[in-house]
Amino acid sequence: MSLLNKTLLGLINPIIARRVVLFHSIALLALGCGRPAAESATKSEFRVALLTPGPISDQAWNAAAYRGLERIRDSLGAEISHIQTKTPAEFEENFRQYGAKGYALVIGHGFEFQEAAQRVGPEYPRTVFVTTGGEGTGPNIAALSFAFDEPSYLAGMAAAAVSKSGVLGEIAGTELPPVQASFAAFAAGARSVRPDATVLTAYIGNWDDAGAGKEQALAQIARRADVIFQNADAAGLGVFQAVREHPGTWIVGSNADQNALAPQSALGSVVIDLPHAFLLVARDVKAGTFQPRVVRFDIATDVVRWVPNPATAGVPAAVQARIDSTRARFARHEFTVPAGRP
Amino acid sequence: MDALAALWDGAFGSSYAFWSATLVRATPLLLLGLSVALAFRAGVLNIGAEGQLAVGAIAASAVALTWAGAPRPLLVPLMAGAGAGAGAVWAGIAAVLRRRFGVLEVISTLMLNFVAAALLSWVVRGPLQEPTHIYPQSPTFAATAHWPFLLPGQRLHLGFAVGLIAALVAWHWLAHRAAGLRVRLVGAGPRASASAGGVDVARTTFGVFLVSGALAGLAGASEVGGVTWALYEGLSPGLGYTAIAVALLARLDPRGVIASAVLFGALDAGAAAMQRDAGVPSVAVQVLVAGIVLAVLAMTQLRTARAAARTGPDEAAA
Repeated sequence: MSLLNKTLLGLINPIIARRVVLFHSIALLALGCGRPAAESATKSEFRVALLTPGPISDQAWNAAAYRGLERIRDSLGAEISHIQTKTPAEFEENFRQYGAKGYALVIGHGFEFQEAAQRVGPEYPRTVFVTTGGEGTGPNIAALSFAFDEPSYLAGMAAAAVSKSGVLGEIAGTELPPVQASFAAFAAGARSVRPDATVLTAYIGNWDDAGAGKEQALAQIARRADVIFQNADAAGLGVFQAVREHPGTWIVGSNADQNALAPQSALGSVVIDLPHAFLLVARDVKAGTFQPRVVRFDIATDVVRWVPNPATAGVPAAVQARIDSTRARFARHEFTVPAGRP
Repeated sequence: MDALAALWDGAFGSSYAFWSATLVRATPLLLLGLSVALAFRAGVLNIGAEGQLAVGAIAASAVALTWAGAPRPLLVPLMAGAGAGAGAVWAGIAAVLRRRFGVLEVISTLMLNFVAAALLSWVVRGPLQEPTHIYPQSPTFAATAHWPFLLPGQRLHLGFAVGLIAALVAWHWLAHRAAGLRVRLVGAGPRASASAGGVDVARTTFGVFLVSGALAGLAGASEVGGVTWALYEGLSPGLGYTAIAVALLARLDPRGVIASAVLFGALDAGAAAMQRDAGVPSVAVQVLVAGIVLAVLAMTQLRTARAAARTGPDEAAA
């Protein structure tokens, strides 16, 4: 019976979600009417494209990437194009289309784009293909690597310090390698402050079902978790909702600065400053000085950061001092996240 | 208007757009649409094409990775066979449940979609994971497992030809063969076909169920062999559900499925171009595409209604 219920819910949820999207898109359509003319007026030689695996309205991973694309347009006068893609077949096809149109820089926003970059790259040598994550490189192929585990470790320390129950939750979309590394670091950070901390981990199974995200969060709260580290993009908005409804529970945001999503309950956000990283890469590509390689951004580059929520200064001073010193040791490359149990 | 021009150009604007974008996207929809159309014709509401596609892709990938050293003319048919076989077995579970226990196939095939999705995500993290064990995907297949391209310089692959042949065979079989007649009879009225026509209803629906599953499994094999050359978790963005619309738009006629699969492929390719070239947000693109499909549906509906008015209801139904 409950299985059937779940299926029905599963069927209905996307319908509700799509309704919301529909409404949203009509508004966007109205807003977007005057745009193409303006864009063709500022035609530029330097063209940059972004492929995202999800909607740029997620206020997280994809939204931050789109802001990065906009910053490249505003700072470097680039002509920009964005497409949301779902399947590996689409990744490859769109890489090809941008390559054929002579784009200077094409960014595939996720490690999952690296195969497509490897296949298409050699055919369009004048285009630089960059994937956010992954480690595939080539004469015109580069990968951005983010030490997301470093600020996740700091977040774990802060989370353990404010937790009353000693139970921490982690919720993500699917089991992707960078997410697993970040969760392991969060748990390690927490145990460095509180060795007996219990860490619950849940994967929703997708990155866009906010209803399922909320359900997972409620389940963890019921198991006495009082700090939840979410990394689920659009589905994570459901986690935020669950936490807002349960005062006394904290949430840690991911990728973008999500503190404003729950000003009362956000402990902080583990941020990747994607706009900054994209701009650094695009500047080099435009100047013709870009060296295709794995470009690593860690705490020392300030592209990945632990951003506490100033409205909720709940971390005791002693732990805060330890967080600050750990951060400094990360920045000096004197410390790496210890490998440990997740 | 810019947006609509981009939609058209992205689907038909160049030879690359037509052969490599539109038809490549139409290929899985053609096979899946046939799978759904055949099943529905026999009154089997198989909505499990999505899951049958997934197991077909898994089986074809397993074959491709296990016998990478085999010559291409042997390996490619083997992959196709494995995909079709796996799809048939997957559909067979629902078929047995229906025949033995009377379980509604709408529920069982839908449930099996979730099981297949879970199976796929386990396989790419377990037995078929790439050698570094970091990414949830299989290694890339050896060149011997790549399905041949049909045209030089285009990405259109063997899968489309297979789909075309399958559509013509299915049409001929339904229209001109005794077995096809039985399928149509069972779909039109199972009780009447059993009592008056002497048709073994259970056996006919069981057989159609398996064929339907095999076609969907073949679509999975064709995607991994012809397009991605590796097994991924997010292989299908709900192709198995889109296929239901493809089949219904074609009024369950296999010849019509060819046209409607190409239409959906074109819309998909054009939608991508709209985002790329006209800067239309992806959500707005989805709305526009849904609007076009509705308009086409309304037009075909209107035409049949008119035809019915002219010739009388019996003629139009036949």
